[in-house]
Amino acid sequence: MSYLDEWSEWREKIRSVLGSEIPESDITAALSRYDGNLNAVINLFLDSPGAFGRSVNVTRTSLGGGVRVKTEAPDVASGLHLFDGGKGGVGFDDGKKSVVSESLDGSFSNVKVKEEKWDESGFGDESKALVPYRGCVDSSSFSCPIDPVPISCVKLETTPVSCVRPDATASPYAKPATAPVISSVMTETAAFSTEKTEKAQIPRVKPEWAPNRLKPDTNSDRRIQLCRSEPEAEKGDFPEERDWFLVGRAAIPGLSTTKGRNKLEDDEIVHFNFPSGDAWETRIQYRSSWKAACAASGFVRFSTKRYGEIGRLSREWAACLVPLVNSSKVKVHGRCIAPPRVLSLLQEIPLYVSFYIHSSIFSNGVTSSWNLDAPSQSESISRPLLTLFKLLKMKAFQKAEFTPDELGSKKRCLDLNDGSDESLPMLPPAKRGKGCLAHSEQTDDEQAITESTLNKLVGSVDTYDLKEMEPPSALLCDLRPYQKQALYWMTESEKGDVQQAAKTLHPCWEKYHIEDKRASAVYLNVFSGEVTTQFPSATQAARGGILADAMGLGKTVMTIALILAKTFKGSPEDLAVDAGVWDKTKATKERRTSHNFTRRVKGGTLIVCPMALLGQWKDELETHSRQGSLSISVHYGGDKTNDPTVLSEPDVVLTTYGVLSTAYKSNSQKESIFHKVDWYRVVLDEAHTIKASKTQVAQAAFALTSYCRWCLTGTPLQNSLEDLYSLLCFLHVEPWCNWAWWNKLIQKPYEIGDERAIRLVKAILRSMMLRRTKESRDKDGRPILVLPPADIQIVECEQSEAERDFYEALFRKSKVKFDQFVAQGKVLHNYASILELLLRLRQCCNHPFLVMSGGDNNKYADLSLLAQRFLEDGLNTGSSNKISSAYVEEVVDEIRRGEATECPICLEAPDDPILTQCAHRMCRECLFSSWRCQSGGPCPICRNKLSRADLITCPSENRFRVDIEKNWTESAKISKLIECLVKLRKTGEKSIIFSQWTSFLDLLEIPLITMKIGFLRFDGKLVQKQREKVLKEFTEGTEKMVLLMSLKAGGVGLNLTAASNVFLMDPWWNPAVEEQAIMRIHRFGQKLRVIVRRFIVKETVEERMQQVQARRG
Amino acid sequence: MANSNLPRRIIKETQRLLSEPAPGISASPSEDNMRYFNVMILGPTQSPYEGGVFKLELFLPEEYPMAAPKVRFLTKIYHPNIDKLGRICLDILKDKWSPALQIRTVLLSIQALLSAPNPDDPLSDNIAKHWKTNEAEAVETAKEWTRLYASGA
Repeated sequence: MSYLDEWSEWREKIRSVLGSEIPESDITAALSRYDGNLNAVINLFLDSPGAFGRSVNVTRTSLGGGVRVKTEAPDVASGLHLFDGGKGGVGFDDGKKSVVSESLDGSFSNVKVKEEKWDESGFGDESKALVPYRGCVDSSSFSCPIDPVPISCVKLETTPVSCVRPDATASPYAKPATAPVISSVMTETAAFSTEKTEKAQIPRVKPEWAPNRLKPDTNSDRRIQLCRSEPEAEKGDFPEERDWFLVGRAAIPGLSTTKGRNKLEDDEIVHFNFPSGDAWETRIQYRSSWKAACAASGFVRFSTKRYGEIGRLSREWAACLVPLVNSSKVKVHGRCIAPPRVLSLLQEIPLYVSFYIHSSIFSNGVTSSWNLDAPSQSESISRPLLTLFKLLKMKAFQKAEFTPDELGSKKRCLDLNDGSDESLPMLPPAKRGKGCLAHSEQTDDEQAITESTLNKLVGSVDTYDLKEMEPPSALLCDLRPYQKQALYWMTESEKGDVQQAAKTLHPCWEKYHIEDKRASAVYLNVFSGEVTTQFPSATQAARGGILADAMGLGKTVMTIALILAKTFKGSPEDLAVDAGVWDKTKATKERRTSHNFTRRVKGGTLIVCPMALLGQWKDELETHSRQGSLSISVHYGGDKTNDPTVLSEPDVVLTTYGVLSTAYKSNSQKESIFHKVDWYRVVLDEAHTIKASKTQVAQAAFALTSYCRWCLTGTPLQNSLEDLYSLLCFLHVEPWCNWAWWNKLIQKPYEIGDERAIRLVKAILRSMMLRRTKESRDKDGRPILVLPPADIQIVECEQSEAERDFYEALFRKSKVKFDQFVAQGKVLHNYASILELLLRLRQCCNHPFLVMSGGDNNKYADLSLLAQRFLEDGLNTGSSNKISSAYVEEVVDEIRRGEATECPICLEAPDDPILTQCAHRMCRECLFSSWRCQSGGPCPICRNKLSRADLITCPSENRFRVDIEKNWTESAKISKLIECLVKLRKTGEKSIIFSQWTSFLDLLEIPLITMKIGFLRFDGKLVQKQREKVLKEFTEGTEKMVLLMSLKAGGVGLNLTAASNVFLMDPWWNPAVEEQAIMRIHRFGQKLRVIVRRFIVKETVEERMQQVQARRG
Repeated sequence: MANSNLPRRIIKETQRLLSEPAPGISASPSEDNMRYFNVMILGPTQSPYEGGVFKLELFLPEEYPMAAPKVRFLTKIYHPNIDKLGRICLDILKDKWSPALQIRTVLLSIQALLSAPNPDDPLSDNIAKHWKTNEAEAVETAKEWTRLYASGA
């Protein structure tokens, strides 16, 4: 430290002599050069005022015998510089090498290189990497003194990296004394790098110098006589080249490595000589840190045509520039500006450098795919332009909304957008299995997130100011303004033409203005480093999006309007885009010729929806479109075609997730009928069905080929943020459909509570998603949808005395059992039992019959018939599968006694049990869901083939072990319900009654029949055709005013606006499920005031459930 | 209430596995993931695996019971239908899966597979070949492996 004090004293002295404007760093540098010789320093400054390098690194190391030498000493004192004049230079003569020898005292001597043999293998177009001078320098022509210091430094420098240093810059140290050593090193390294070069065939486009290098004249005696008497400074403009775009210019300090007077003129062109790229790559491989690699790299030297090497760039600049130039995407031209008249060693030479970028880095219009999984390259190589912008301190004209830096750092910084104070709503992160069996796990609907959380996460804009688009004339219904807006938005989102698409810059891209006039604006993807000159609009990435309007706003109608507005086949890019009408014959011809090999057919719109909505889609498509304007086909059930051509013919193909998934699964991936068609548009209705990205159905959806993709869902997020990932995958939204990207930038930050993840999600979704809620308002502040109000009433029922007694007894019994579990400490082990106890209590609130056991045995008159039928069937199915009559007897007897065996699939007492021909009993729903196809499948027990039609419904009396009709008593709930229904009968309003238990619906049928209230029933038992029929009859008919509906079967997607009264007979744990049910009625199209009645029995478990619900909400 | 998302069937099966375990088989769910089971199967008597304790892992996928559980041996075992990664060639784990099967039945089937190796439908070609060409020697190797890898557990 003492010498520092000493120095500051000297600094003051120098300043007192020369004036205080001399920068401190200059003085320090000078002091270090002259090792504290004050007079020498002062002379230096007097000699060349203001010309000292301001960024000289002063590093002190002791070397050899304790002499203080700067680490740069070797190249300061370098005796011989061989350099390649072609690099980066304009008009350097082919085949001529300038060889300059300079002794330390600054005198010049002409040097002849006797033989300079180029290693031919080094001359590919990638050979820039190698400048393997293998030549022996004719030592006789040297007149410079041998200086021991630089030699030792040469050793010092070369030893640690000798095997990875094939670059030309090593050669300057080839002083006579060391030449043999060096050349042997060089030979080794040259061989090594040749091998390297062959391996890494990186095509490099260097139009300027490549031709020079491609014709190495190995035999020619490369000599150049540098005569000091006739040098003419090379000046003039740099020519504009077709493939090179001028990015910007910057002043860069060079440091002289030579001495002399008048060596440079103002505006003289300097040529840069960069160390090889392969040396770089090798270093990057071998050295852990990039910085270390930089430090070990050679120098960037520059020369003039007249005098050869003049100096080098500072290490900092060299470290930045070398990888850029070696990437072949960047080149530099430089000239010196106002050079010092007299050059001394390490003097600063101001250079004015122009940076060019090669046009090949512009990826115009190509959808590239990012891959984070690939071994990450050095940043500057993978994104040269971004690095260059940083170097030149060029500011983005338009900033990206989010950058990797912001997300990468843990710092809380930068308000990305609306400095919202909202707290981060936490979702349960999707749990993952352990070990190799890990499988993404899905939480079921019990953890569904609420609407308000959803709004927080994905944002819902309260007012949208979108243009309205008039619906096509083929649409037979009127659209509301907000629906016309959606139509506009959707049509715009489908446009492939960037010009007309939204003028929003894609949030991952930045806009830069570069110097070159030919490309005034370039766009840079801050994540991928991708560069383009075309405007990357937010909507360009994926055609389509997420229509996430809340339930009941008419997503279906908006989609139908879109389909009618744009009915295309395949990808319109193949055809004249403006051809509104699609000429089938022409297309076929085209297809035959151009797609001869792929033989893919072009399809129209494919709509994938849950099975329950299939009929509704078909109905709505038919009722809302003018006759003949749209051809519709339903790909479902037994009569499915196997011919993709047939599938491609109609304008709209409807299918279900199940069919899609099965087709994908059973055929080898791409071979499924859906995947053989190039669709124009794929619409996923209730798109959250694919929320688990690893499931078969999601994979099947991802694999579809389509021009546009749409997700319709009221709940883009259901359980976790990952749900959204799956949608983005389907939509092919780069780069978020890549799990690595998603996980790194969104999922992980989100899980650790970084709220920027949510902002990022919002930013991604802003252009992708349209989401309005019933509360959304138009630009005038009016609600977009004026729905008649919905009243939610709670109907409190009071149990009769007998009912109460029964309930109390059951409750006490359950309590005893529960207490037992608690006492044994086995509550968790008996989870199922406890839920069952609760279930019984809840059912008891509806009607005690639901839990009653016992009853008389002799009421099943049809059972003998049943036995008969079994035996006959058994005979018919053939001898091998013959069922023994003894077994049938046993089964029939069990049924007769009312003994319920548990369903082998759900392990519960079967709800709505059926009997198979092979005399096995199970729940109808369980059996159906075990089948791949609707019409039939194997028996889960014996694998006999079963068909749906042959199943026998167990005698329904079996469900109640009392004869319910004979002993009929109304429960409190049923009395209240009937009371309401009778009142409603007079008004003519229709009602829907929801219950979780089909057995309760069974019970309800009795009083409805007695009271002559016409009703229909909709539950899981109905096949698709029956469902359609029931819904149609309920909607259009005037007879049946009541629809009994099971909560599970009718919860999603159905449009039941014909009714205006909702009866929720039993509370469900999750209010979202109830909300879904209410939305079936209280939605777009509802004209009447909706009254929802929730039935709760006082002072029972139901009241407790309400409290649980309140907590969840 | 992490378990409340589990289907009732899984809860019920787990409960039964714990309360009435099948002989020679133990299966207990992992604490943090109720779909993941740590399984131990005792080598059946009169088989080359007698005396061995074999660890397996079992995972119930999302679709369970409509899709088969995923089962894998963690203990090294010399068996023609089990490969070196512990994967098991058993029809009921693949195309012959039925939702009426359960964790218990699957594990019993695996136990049975240990008693009756089936070199005609091999997963591990080398072992199967060994079994077919020199069964006595293959059985010896299996015993050796059992001693080596499946004893100290």
